[in-house]
Amino acid sequence: MKQLQLLLLVLVILLLGSVTMAQDEIVVTWWTEDYIDIEQINAALVEPFNAANPGIRLEITPTTELNNTLRTALAAGEAPDILQTPGASFIAEFLRSGLILDLADVADQMGWEEKLLPWAYQSGVIEGGLYSIPLTYESMVLLYNKTVFDENGWAVPTTLAELEAIAEEAVAIGINPLTYGNVGWQPTNEHLVGIYLNNYAGPENVYQALIGEKSWTDPEFAGAIELLRTHIADNGWFGGSLETYFAYGWDEFWAELASGEAAMMMIGTWGFRGANEFFGETGMEWDWAPLPVLSELAGEYNYELATGSTLSVNASSDHPEAVITVLDWIMNNKEVVLNVASGYGYGEFMVPLVYTSDDFPADADPRIVRFFADFAQVTGEGRVGYTTWTFWPADPNVQLWEAVEQVWFGDLGVEDYLAEHQALWDAARESGVTLPIPAR
Amino acid sequence: MTNSAQLAHHPSRNQLLENLGRWAFVLPVLLINLVVVVIPSVVGLGAAFTDWTGYGTPNFIGLENFQRLLSDGVFFKALQNNLLWTALFLTAPIAVGLLGAYLLSSIKTGQMIFRIAYFIPYVIASVVNTQIWRQLLHPRVGIGAWLADYGITFLDFPIFGTRSTALYAVAFVDAWHFWGFLVVIYLAAMSAVDTELYEVARLDGATRLQQFRFVTLPSIRPTLVFSILMIIIWSSTTFDYVYMLTSGGPANSSELMSTYLYINAFNRFDAGYAASIGMMMSIWVGLAVSGFVYLRRRGWEI
Repeated sequence: MKQLQLLLLVLVILLLGSVTMAQDEIVVTWWTEDYIDIEQINAALVEPFNAANPGIRLEITPTTELNNTLRTALAAGEAPDILQTPGASFIAEFLRSGLILDLADVADQMGWEEKLLPWAYQSGVIEGGLYSIPLTYESMVLLYNKTVFDENGWAVPTTLAELEAIAEEAVAIGINPLTYGNVGWQPTNEHLVGIYLNNYAGPENVYQALIGEKSWTDPEFAGAIELLRTHIADNGWFGGSLETYFAYGWDEFWAELASGEAAMMMIGTWGFRGANEFFGETGMEWDWAPLPVLSELAGEYNYELATGSTLSVNASSDHPEAVITVLDWIMNNKEVVLNVASGYGYGEFMVPLVYTSDDFPADADPRIVRFFADFAQVTGEGRVGYTTWTFWPADPNVQLWEAVEQVWFGDLGVEDYLAEHQALWDAARESGVTLPIPAR
Repeated sequence: MTNSAQLAHHPSRNQLLENLGRWAFVLPVLLINLVVVVIPSVVGLGAAFTDWTGYGTPNFIGLENFQRLLSDGVFFKALQNNLLWTALFLTAPIAVGLLGAYLLSSIKTGQMIFRIAYFIPYVIASVVNTQIWRQLLHPRVGIGAWLADYGITFLDFPIFGTRSTALYAVAFVDAWHFWGFLVVIYLAAMSAVDTELYEVARLDGATRLQQFRFVTLPSIRPTLVFSILMIIIWSSTTFDYVYMLTSGGPANSSELMSTYLYINAFNRFDAGYAASIGMMMSIWVGLAVSGFVYLRRRGWEI
């Protein structure tokens, strides 16, 4: 009996010991979107980090309905250390409510500004403080069915005239020039509006409007919206008709492009993930090109800047230094980032570090490597555009994609649509909720 | 002085314990109701008078949200759609439910199989139902396209993407999932009707239709009235089918108060404005319920 008691005592001590040992470790929590492959990210990121940083344990949790769950958790004081948001307008909101830490001093000490692409670093700077790091960056491109193009002897369009010529030939042979749809994500409308604004009115004009030196009611922007309306509603070039656009979702428009029933798609670089998946099934070839310039106002082709998701540090975290260690480690380990991103065709988790083609593994898709190389070069020359979800404040952003549907159906005039848009921008400027726009 | 009067003035220990026992049973549910329903509802109503974004602290702004609501064209479109939705659901599903239940009530063998078959759509998750119907009504690979191959082209168009049909299409899918519920409750009510009444009616020379009108309907009136009231209330808050099939589009043609509330709360960071829309929904439901109470007080046997 005495031996049993002794054994029990030893077991209890061991148990307590292991518990306290575990408590010595700092746990950094990070909730992320639920489409990620948790095993892949644990193997590629979490385990290497934990091994390299004894005393800190990183825990990544895929979370359904991340935004809504975070909102509730923040209100309850139960949010994770690393706050992942879909973008800039959330950061502005979090900052207003005092929920995130200013990392400017830390960034100075650790040299983050040199590690990130310049515009990417600036995107997190609000009134001199650094509040977020982009988790992934993306841009808008023209994705096309190469097999269809080759069969018909088409060259990749670089101007409006070339685009229209190909579109007319496509219609003549019974395929849709373009395909897209907003089922499942109504804000998809903003991708097209943003593309036409940047590639018709030109990035310089868009920039002027973003900083309040130009009005959205100016003719360059009216021309852009009118051109999109002509293409999508009058000509039915997206999916065959305006109504089809409202009936198509991700699966539908990819199936159409990958099976050769549509020729092109104007989409973000997250489309590389869809391209690989769907073209892999149909056996046709895909490729991408920069979006065609839709008027002389736009000059040479540009790449729109976009941050896909951002990471911020929770202001009520008990151990902000540990959290900053995680962020710093990520920014110092390009191979880890690329390893994680390769699981998504480099369409997600592409932290905007300064990459060269050599950084990519030998088996990386050469088309995608080509994009990152061209993107770095072109944006390095200052030929950047502006995506609506990265640079527009919430209210005008929602009006942009919500009210444009009425413009397409002819219920709302282009001038009235843009006048409403300008009014919301004026209100946002007055309330001080505009987002940082990197200087050109 | 009677015993009960004595008891009323001097409740015995047993009586107190009994009361306490009753409260003990009710308290947990009451607490849950308070925390999950009452308190959030009051907070939500309060938020309608603020500029709360969903994060941080709200500021009181009085009736500004309601003033904005009164000049909001999209809100009125949504309200109109809600009223249309209510009208649709008060007619077709009830009619089909009554017919289905009545026909089913005269089937002896295999009745259970039919009841299960009609009820299954009701228990399947709305996410699954919407996916099924999105594929069935798909412009390229759905029923419409298939019928067009045989020369029947009236369904061959993007049903959810066309403004004139979007709301009706969503209402159809929701009604398809809902009428099984009505069949089951009407059937339960009909099976409680005294068969002697049918005997008497038949002897008096009543046709089946007349039996239905003069025996069945009056007998199931409480259930019928209950279903009408629930349809009115549920029509005000209906969300998931519209959100998943059309998100209120295209161009607000299928927008409902609930989907408009959602966009304002979660896309525009305007929880205060969304709360004012929520209050409008509550007022609408309150009016419907008050209407019923008023009619009942007036002596209507409902």
